[in-house]
Amino acid sequence: MARDVLIDLRHITKVFPPDTVALADVSVSFESGEIHALVGENGAGKSTLMKVFYGLERRDAGEIFFRGARVEFRTPREAISAGIGMVHQEILLIPEYTVWQNIVLGSEPVRAFGTIDVHKARQAVRKKIEEFQFNLEADALAGDISVAARQKVEILKLLYRNVSVLILDEPTAVLTPQEIPQLFSELMRLRDKGHTIIFISHHLDEVLTLSDRVTVMRHGKVVGTSAASDLTKVDLARQMVGREVLFSSQRQPQEPGEIVFQAQALNCSDNEHRARLHDATVTVHAGEIVGVAGVEGNGQFQLMNAIMGLAPMTSGTLEVSGKDITHADILARRALISFVPQDRARMGASVAASILENCIMTHHILDPSFSTMGGLGLDYRRAAAFAEQIRNQFSVNMGSAGDPFHSLSGGNQQKVILGRELLLETPFVLMDQPTRGLDVGSIEYVHQLLLDLRSRKRAVLLISADLDELFMVADRIVVMCQGNMVADLATDGTSREEVGYYMLGGKEAVHAQAGS
Amino acid sequence: MRKQALSGILGVLVALAIGALVLLLQGFNPVATYGALLQYSLFSASGFSATVTRAVPLVLTGLSASIAFASGPVNLGQPGQLIMGALGAALVGLFVHLPSVFLIPLCILASLVGGALWSGLAALLKRAFAMDEFIVTLMLNFIADYFALWVITYPLFDPSASSPMTRPIGTAAWLPDVGGVNTSVPVMVFAALVCWLIMSKGRSGYEWRMTGQNSLFARIGGCKVDRNYVRVMLVTGALAGLAGGLMIMGGPHRFVKGLGANYAWDGIMIAVVASNGISGTFLYGLLFSALQQGAIGMELVTAVPSEFIDVLQAVIVLVVVAGRVSLNIVFDWLATRRKLRESAG
Repeated sequence: MARDVLIDLRHITKVFPPDTVALADVSVSFESGEIHALVGENGAGKSTLMKVFYGLERRDAGEIFFRGARVEFRTPREAISAGIGMVHQEILLIPEYTVWQNIVLGSEPVRAFGTIDVHKARQAVRKKIEEFQFNLEADALAGDISVAARQKVEILKLLYRNVSVLILDEPTAVLTPQEIPQLFSELMRLRDKGHTIIFISHHLDEVLTLSDRVTVMRHGKVVGTSAASDLTKVDLARQMVGREVLFSSQRQPQEPGEIVFQAQALNCSDNEHRARLHDATVTVHAGEIVGVAGVEGNGQFQLMNAIMGLAPMTSGTLEVSGKDITHADILARRALISFVPQDRARMGASVAASILENCIMTHHILDPSFSTMGGLGLDYRRAAAFAEQIRNQFSVNMGSAGDPFHSLSGGNQQKVILGRELLLETPFVLMDQPTRGLDVGSIEYVHQLLLDLRSRKRAVLLISADLDELFMVADRIVVMCQGNMVADLATDGTSREEVGYYMLGGKEAVHAQAGS
Repeated sequence: MRKQALSGILGVLVALAIGALVLLLQGFNPVATYGALLQYSLFSASGFSATVTRAVPLVLTGLSASIAFASGPVNLGQPGQLIMGALGAALVGLFVHLPSVFLIPLCILASLVGGALWSGLAALLKRAFAMDEFIVTLMLNFIADYFALWVITYPLFDPSASSPMTRPIGTAAWLPDVGGVNTSVPVMVFAALVCWLIMSKGRSGYEWRMTGQNSLFARIGGCKVDRNYVRVMLVTGALAGLAGGLMIMGGPHRFVKGLGANYAWDGIMIAVVASNGISGTFLYGLLFSALQQGAIGMELVTAVPSEFIDVLQAVIVLVVVAGRVSLNIVFDWLATRRKLRESAG
């Protein structure tokens, strides 16, 4: 099927001062009515390219053509009115507003005298939610819902505005495996109706399933554009990373050791006294990786909070290495638990602080070699040496340790956090979606690190929304559904289908299987 | 850091140029005016001594605001904390009779405690009732102001005075002049040094900064963020209180109506200009003090009204703060051009 060129980006160059060339003479064209995937590692320039097109970043050289005419979107608003919408990686909702308020914000249906037609707006949003089968409450506050739900609101926001070109910056990164096929069939239907979809992703399987054509970027340059049907996952990964990437599990059989982590019958409830965690019981042995699977919002967040001591439990006990930490404060837990949170910017780091300042958190209390003057002072020379250790040991690509943390790419930020946490040398490691938003190369690195921890007899609890990841590294998979631990399965004795069945709580699973 | 210094120096120079333009438009001679300003603030022994003495409350309240803002708590209660600190020093100075060696440290301690009590009250309300310190400290300023006015109008009123003020504190509590400079100055410099040590070398400073930037991160990292909050409030309150105490002990030697009226607000402004840096706050404190001190001389010698200095201060704040951002834009633009040439060549 011959298609017309709809969007033509020519010789785009973008420099991030002082000396990062994010885009170096990039030319890509997108055809009308195609799903065009833009793939590449973090920092390859995919998002930047789309932001330049969308009017969010100014380019330093190059030209943009849309429907044959030279265009210049100075703001996203101009792009949207031309029928182009972008869903960002960062979620930009107003937490104090409800879902429907966020969706209609900026194009509210109004009655006479400019008052918002609340009824009509809510109805319209409800209809959209139903149409796209998104599991959303139109009246929930955006600040109260999970990251996945917030992302869905972002997508709905554009669909509500009837855009004809949809740019999605890693839309599936936060969706659960069950939600992805729905999104994809919707995107394909949109394509068949003549919409054009530009899809930025790291997930190679998704890219190959969904897209018509694929453009691979590396280090700010286009490696090539090809039809998805001509590509294999291995080709794609090689083009992206520039070398061969391992996709199969390297997990060697290993006898687990003694019990390190034990959570017994944890219960906690939310502000409205609804039980969010119901008799949750997990055991992790030394040299074992236990995966926690589940659709996002089924108690994983509460489990993490309970283990870290961030929110009170109503009952239950926690034990690490034989020490009862049920009532211990956070610092006491940190001496036993390394923790890699899912949200780097909120929990894992202070992005405005320097890399060095981010490296030494927790160590500055637990490791006496960091203190001077009897605990009053902080030894910044020791801190610098430690940052250097993290750089070398975890191959962090960074300039000076004094640079701000936010100057690092996502993968390197995660490496700093992993380095900081793993060098705590604790018996137990809690990882909450440690590969979220990372590129293929970094994900491979994290998985390698996890298996390395396993062989060094650490106990790892891995919360993940990515079943492939769990099957690749976990020895056992516990499944959470509505705050309950509904299954505890040995990875080698189960299948994705069985786990998916438990994730959806049985009945719905049969439904989903019949539907797909 | 170097960029900060550059943008600061450039900003002040540009602001002075704008001030010169204003003077010219008004028909004044800018050279003569700035000459007088310098003469009466820095280039005469008495002017210099007055400038550094005036810098004491400016720097201390500035440090108070800088440390608070950098660590999270929005403590805007420096005016009230200054007053309570001054009151503390005045009470001890009036009613305790000891030799100077003991009385002076005791007065200083009383001023620290006075300020810390006042900010501690706000911290307590935050911890107990989750009341935002931003509004509580602001409101406590009014209470401190009128409370002090009541104290000096009724219980501690000096009957021989015509306006509300206390009797002079005992001479043993007076901070002496050494070599023409009041000893409140070295006390201030020492306090600034301690602040710098805490923030740049101390474990507390590190934790406070991390908490200010991302308190959830600090909390997960094992920092006791609630305890740190209270400590920051107490320390910053004590600094503002110290400003008040030193003003009494080095200056009028009694609590007079309107003591320290604008210094604390200027301190907050200085913290903003210095973007909460310790050394920046110290230097801008000296600069603003020199301007305010020079204004008096300027009014004596030239026909320029001293209000001109208020305008100049405001221009400095705007130009330096705006300049920080625009200078970055210029640097970025230059770097981009260079990179584009490189990749083209």
